[in-house]
Amino acid sequence: MNEKLLKSAERKEQLLLTALTIPALISVTLIIVIPVGWLFSLSFLGKSGDFSLENYQKMIVYKSYFRVFKTTFNVSFLTTIFCILLGYPLAYFLSQVPKKLVGIFMITVLLPFWTSLLVRTYAWLVLLQKKGMINNFAIDMGIWETPIKLAHNLNGTLVGMIHIMLPFMVLPLYAAMQRIDRQTMQAASNLGASPIQAFWQIFVPLSLPGVAAGSLIVFILCLGFYVTPAVLGGGKVIMVSMQITAILEDQFNWGAASALGVVLLVTTFIFLLLASRFLKLDSIMFGKH
Amino acid sequence: MKQNITSLEISIKDLTKRYGKIYALDTVSLDIKAGEFLTLLGPSGSGKTTLLMAIAGFNRPDSGSIKFANQEMILTPPHKREVGMVFQNYALFPHMSVFENIGFPLKLRKAPNDQIKEKVHDALKTVQLSDYANRKIDQLSGGQRQRVALARAFVFGPRILLMDEPLSALDKKLREQMQIELKQLHRKLGVTTVYVTHDQREALTMSDRIAVINEGKIEQLGTPKEIYNSPNSSFVADFIGESSFLQLNRKGDDLYFSSEKIITNKKLNKNKEWAMVIRPERLSIVNKSYRKNSSNIHFSGEISELVFQGETALALVKLMEGNFLSVRLSTKSSDDFNNLKTGNKIQLCMNRKDVIIIPH
Amino acid sequence: MIFSFKKFFYATACSTLLAGSAFADAVTVVSWGGSYGKAQDAALFTDASRDSGIAINRESGASMSKVMLQVESGAVIWDLVVTGSGGAANAAKNGALEKIDFNVVDVSNFLDNTYTDYCIGSDVFATVGAWNTEKYGEPGTPGAPNSWADFWDVEKYPGTRSLRLNNVDGVLEPAVMAMGIPPEEVYDFLSSEGGIDKAIDKIRELKPHISVYWKSGAMQAQLMKDEEVDFITGWNGRFDNAKKDGAKVGYTFNQALRDYDCFAIPKGAPNKDLAMKFLGEVSKAKYQANLPFHITYGPTNKEAYEITTAPKELIEALPSHPKNFSKMLAVSLDWYANNREVALEKYMEFLSE
Repeated sequence: MNEKLLKSAERKEQLLLTALTIPALISVTLIIVIPVGWLFSLSFLGKSGDFSLENYQKMIVYKSYFRVFKTTFNVSFLTTIFCILLGYPLAYFLSQVPKKLVGIFMITVLLPFWTSLLVRTYAWLVLLQKKGMINNFAIDMGIWETPIKLAHNLNGTLVGMIHIMLPFMVLPLYAAMQRIDRQTMQAASNLGASPIQAFWQIFVPLSLPGVAAGSLIVFILCLGFYVTPAVLGGGKVIMVSMQITAILEDQFNWGAASALGVVLLVTTFIFLLLASRFLKLDSIMFGKH
Repeated sequence: MKQNITSLEISIKDLTKRYGKIYALDTVSLDIKAGEFLTLLGPSGSGKTTLLMAIAGFNRPDSGSIKFANQEMILTPPHKREVGMVFQNYALFPHMSVFENIGFPLKLRKAPNDQIKEKVHDALKTVQLSDYANRKIDQLSGGQRQRVALARAFVFGPRILLMDEPLSALDKKLREQMQIELKQLHRKLGVTTVYVTHDQREALTMSDRIAVINEGKIEQLGTPKEIYNSPNSSFVADFIGESSFLQLNRKGDDLYFSSEKIITNKKLNKNKEWAMVIRPERLSIVNKSYRKNSSNIHFSGEISELVFQGETALALVKLMEGNFLSVRLSTKSSDDFNNLKTGNKIQLCMNRKDVIIIPH
Repeated sequence: MIFSFKKFFYATACSTLLAGSAFADAVTVVSWGGSYGKAQDAALFTDASRDSGIAINRESGASMSKVMLQVESGAVIWDLVVTGSGGAANAAKNGALEKIDFNVVDVSNFLDNTYTDYCIGSDVFATVGAWNTEKYGEPGTPGAPNSWADFWDVEKYPGTRSLRLNNVDGVLEPAVMAMGIPPEEVYDFLSSEGGIDKAIDKIRELKPHISVYWKSGAMQAQLMKDEEVDFITGWNGRFDNAKKDGAKVGYTFNQALRDYDCFAIPKGAPNKDLAMKFLGEVSKAKYQANLPFHITYGPTNKEAYEITTAPKELIEALPSHPKNFSKMLAVSLDWYANNREVALEKYMEFLSE
């Protein structure tokens, strides 16, 4: 009875639901699919405007491209590691602090989010440069005698990037630690684990999804960094995005720049694929257990 | 199974724990015998879990003493107390297999691997999960998790076992089955067991003794029978079993309900009001051939509600005096229930021995 | 500071409207930031606009890659753009620039090699080696650096160095001269087999002492003001202005690289004819004569040297002054046209090491 009517009602509902996704689909197409496709096609255009692999061949001929990728991955990796080392204790502290105080401490973590990236980067330059605040202070206090090179190198770049990336590590870590059942820790203690044993054998393993999520976010965001290494690296830390800018600014070579972009995109994808092999990405991203 | 577990007695004295102005525990004293199954029974917020957590060492009381076999434990951190505990939500380690969960306390005690293997398998056998050693926790049902938590709590041979509402997450059928199994396990292990629940039926089913807790105090301590048959306060009477209360009148040293004299051997405190507690199953409907006699108390009234509940039925009877009494009826087809209707006038009787008098 | 979205919205909307209305009758003139753009405003644009009655709309951030993007996408919004000589040559080669109408722009009095068919020189500048005078002495005093060999001599002049980042213009020539090759043979050397590699090898020698690479004229000035580096390559006018701001910096024209900046009109500029007229106006000697007061870059119009009221010392400090002219090496646009791409790839490779 009413079989046909019910079926058509269901079909209508499905159509409506599909229709609701159309604005999202259109914006994704306009904002992501078309530009990326354009980038992709540009990378296969040679100087003459015909199809050519010269942009990719150049990357093999000149070692600079490989080195720039190496630097990019190296800097991203180091930033991620330091973010874990700094972010983990911070997130742990946040997860242990009484609920009422979390908000206050969270603001201090999130504050960097609300300041311009450029401003923060130049602030670090002011602090770290040869005659900057840190060197001046240390020399005045007699801590060291000649200025130490803190900026315009890898160290300076890392300091700036870690500062900017830290919230991206702390937030997923904090979320993961929040999800850890307090009774699990009590159980460990009850079974004879000292606080240190309980921390390493129970808390740390259970917080690993947060570490993985944070690391993935930080690492992938780092791959595309431009401002911070450009300002604090002093030209010695050249990452892919900087190379792309250089090629556009000084060579007017859209094809070569696009090819670099495509390679960065593809390597990022490969990295994500590898990561999803070893980590349960969907559970990290969508908080499933 | 090897039986070399020695159980310990627990002696709690004047234990007090305050949260702000609220007393979670108010000078609680309690002696738990070695090998006993003692249940802390009370409504939520009564302090029963606080007391259990104090025994486990997870909260630090403001004052008082907790001794295991005459040894003061109040300052001993939880990981050095050697008590096993089953948590309300099991608190299993989700990143470990069943085997690793149960082996965890043994590994901490640096037991050799073959010994761990043997003990874990023994424990798994005890809780009837022998085939599940390599399962992940998220592949287990609620009842199976319960058993793993249990095995983990006793595998290292603790002298005291604590359980915090371990069955509350299970459905009714499984819960009743587990109650029996826990009881059997207790008999097998012989370990002093402190069990927290808010389910009076569970408490009655399992315990050697029950401590009824309310507002941070122990209201009554006794065997299930004592608690059920002679509650010493309206709280205990109300909380355990079903009951109707009838306010009593005092004439000299005697207590009356209506014109009926209720004999009591209690020493009457002059300043107190008294009430009679009536369990619904202790009442019977009398038939025409019945003759009143002095060993029974009698009531007459009218049925105002009849509820069929399966194995039994419940009748709400409005007495001539205006009070209401619940009466439990058999649902056997030959019995009263099938002939009764709302509005029927009936006579009820109850043995004087079943009378419970409490201060009210 | 509290960010107001409303304010931002109005500001954006207003500037868009203003820009839209300006397109109709005003020439959009785009130059660089820092002291360079300010000097051009003060000496050239304001007066030329007033005298000719051609309204202008000044913008900053000139770049030939943006011009090429505008031309390629058919959305040209700039009319007159400042560029380096090499950048103009490259853009012209790619067909991104309008041909100059020499009936409108009079170059009869211009210095040799300061204009092409596609761009008109605005000033002569030099890429020099500049140093911290507190460390190495005032220019011209005994013991002060005086050649590119000194730039490379880290024993005589110990300290940090700075070279250009991501751009090879003016990078290789100093290295060649530091090897002892005379200025007039530099481009022959670079064009010879392995010349570029040898120059880069020479730069590699200096690498341990290079503490930072610069990206812009403003950064050259900033690095010297902050005393972040001791010896740097860069554009002479920027250092003079930094010195005015209190930086302890000096330089020599000896072996410096002489080059010129110029104006170009993007292909399909919305006010092409008006822009050409304005270019003719701004290239007149009477405006260029004021340039030295604001930045030590030399006029390209010879007549400007005759009519300028600038004092003798100022004129003698210009890279285009005959006294300095002869000490310098003229940048070869030909060489760059043929070799820039390979040289840049190799320099980028060096940078990434």
